[in-house]
Amino acid sequence: MPMLDIKNLTLEMVDGDTTIKALDKVNLTVNTGEIRALVGESGSGKSLIVSAICGALPSQWRMTADRMSWNGENLLSMSKYQRREVMRRDIAVVFQNPQTSLDPSATLGEQLEESIPDEFVEGYWFWQRAQHRKRIAISTVHKVGIKQHKHYLNAYPHQIPSDIGQKFMIAMALVSQPKLLIADDPTRGMEPTTKTQILKLFTRLNQTRSLSILFVSHDLLAIASMSHSMTVLYAGQTVESGKMKHIKKRPLHPYTKALLDSAPSFRKDLPPKSQLPTLGGSIPTLQHLPIGCRLGPRCPRAQRACVSRPAVRYIHDHTYNCHFPLHMEKL
Amino acid sequence: MIQILSRYGVLFILTLLVLTAMSFSLVYLFPGDVLENLTGIVPQNEIQREALMRQFRLDQPYIVQFFYYLSSLLQGDWGYSLASGLPLREEIGIAMPATIELSAYAMLMALFVGIPLGYYAGLKSYSTTDHTINALSITTYSFPVFWLALILILFFSLHLDIAPLSGRISLLFDIKPVTGFVLIDIMLAEGIDHGLAYRDAISHLALPTVAIGAITTASMVRITRRSVIDVIHRPYIVAARSRGVSEWQIFFRHVLRNALLPILPLMAIQITTLITNAMIVETLFSWPGIGSWLIQAIYQRDFPALRVGMLAVSTLVITLTIMVDLFNRIIDPSREKYERATV
Repeated sequence: MPMLDIKNLTLEMVDGDTTIKALDKVNLTVNTGEIRALVGESGSGKSLIVSAICGALPSQWRMTADRMSWNGENLLSMSKYQRREVMRRDIAVVFQNPQTSLDPSATLGEQLEESIPDEFVEGYWFWQRAQHRKRIAISTVHKVGIKQHKHYLNAYPHQIPSDIGQKFMIAMALVSQPKLLIADDPTRGMEPTTKTQILKLFTRLNQTRSLSILFVSHDLLAIASMSHSMTVLYAGQTVESGKMKHIKKRPLHPYTKALLDSAPSFRKDLPPKSQLPTLGGSIPTLQHLPIGCRLGPRCPRAQRACVSRPAVRYIHDHTYNCHFPLHMEKL
Repeated sequence: MIQILSRYGVLFILTLLVLTAMSFSLVYLFPGDVLENLTGIVPQNEIQREALMRQFRLDQPYIVQFFYYLSSLLQGDWGYSLASGLPLREEIGIAMPATIELSAYAMLMALFVGIPLGYYAGLKSYSTTDHTINALSITTYSFPVFWLALILILFFSLHLDIAPLSGRISLLFDIKPVTGFVLIDIMLAEGIDHGLAYRDAISHLALPTVAIGAITTASMVRITRRSVIDVIHRPYIVAARSRGVSEWQIFFRHVLRNALLPILPLMAIQITTLITNAMIVETLFSWPGIGSWLIQAIYQRDFPALRVGMLAVSTLVITLTIMVDLFNRIIDPSREKYERATV
């Protein structure tokens, strides 16, 4: 049974007299112990899915879903308190931008200690508890690869470089020993060395603690090597989802193919100095979304049927949403 | 820390210098005799006039005159009132604490009523409660202060007869002005019924405090509410919530401090409005403060009094403003280091 199971998640916003469907029947599952990549261009609704999972959607969004469950418990019908407990103990989130996700007026140490669940802290008197909190904080900080804990635990967010900030966000996520880590584009804007460090950290956590990770990114190269399975998103619709090696070997959806083709490292047969294939046009704005399959206007294989929304089709555990997938060449 | 203090110190001294220069230039800008404007002494004959001119360096260049003026101000020689002939320093020494007392209570009212209300409205933003609080504060904010004061007098003093019309304390109580603050002076006074005196002083204080405080409170509510709404939509609050931190902890650890930081400099701006309002309300309630004193001086064309009074009031305003600013600078960690460079 999947750990996190989301079926037909739809997010709408009423804008004047029109409704904008930012997410249109998105399906997403994360199994125990796997790294699931969630890939899509900017504006395809990746971060919205993340906020929907952690229940931090701004109030103007209207959320509907057929199923949204965590270990068999329904997240949608939970009380506020139960939801908070799940977020506190089981799910942890690393947000995109560490500088804005950290409170500018509190030291990093204070913020890290605040996320330690009370059950972990030993001691009867408050000073014993404070000491133990501090020890937990230091050891967690060491785990994510920050060595000068004394300096950084007493620093304010504006005093630290952004990769330390991101490592701190990861430390804050890990301190509650969660079962699922949602990483929302954690390596954005980082230089390759720090990026590799952080990706390695994630892989190690996944292997040693069997931590499930939902890795949200548009950096195909980085996640292709580490994740087990992948879900591709285009303009708020799930396009294709399945095991990483299957998708890499034989993408079924034209968009996935275009996405993989645009990354030169996936193509061994690419002749030198040749142009990379891309899809014509650009992603539609939220105000002018096409009906049916949203890739329609840009799709090289689009036909009349594409104005209606394609149903989810399966080949084993590989799912895709397309009327004319790539393996049906005859059509 | 020392650097911050010295920078604010220099700013304070320079501002005061500019103010003193302006007050000095008033001597020449006011109509009438320069000597009388400067000293407040009307010379009886030419010989006395010559002597005074020499004493106040009026026969020398402006710059020498100014520095003599500055040194005499620092020595406490502020000149004499044209109207009463009393030393201005004594008169201001009595009037100023009365104004400070009144404004302090109004400010306390704004802090202890306005800020909590603002927090409450901000946390419940865009609900009925919030809209009610906001509407009330906008209404109160748009009252002209003199009108509000007159309505209070009309209602509470004339119709209901529960508060006295004017003054600071009933003349039956013989209280010597030691500190100038009536509530402290009552405590120091001997041979009176302290309980009765306090009740009387507070009933005198209530109406002017409410009149001045209402407007400042209303603007405080609005500033705080806005600031809280800004803060609760910041990503770090969302991040804290996603870590499962309870609402109370989010409020006390993250919202409270971050919302307060932008309020403080705006509070410094409020001080000016507060003291201006205090001066208007003092006149209406015949409160013996610097405001009514200055208005008397205007009526009587008492130019020396106006000159020094203006300097005293602006010094008070600037001292408070710079102190609030300094306080804000010290408690805001994000302004701590790397002020002119980023890492």
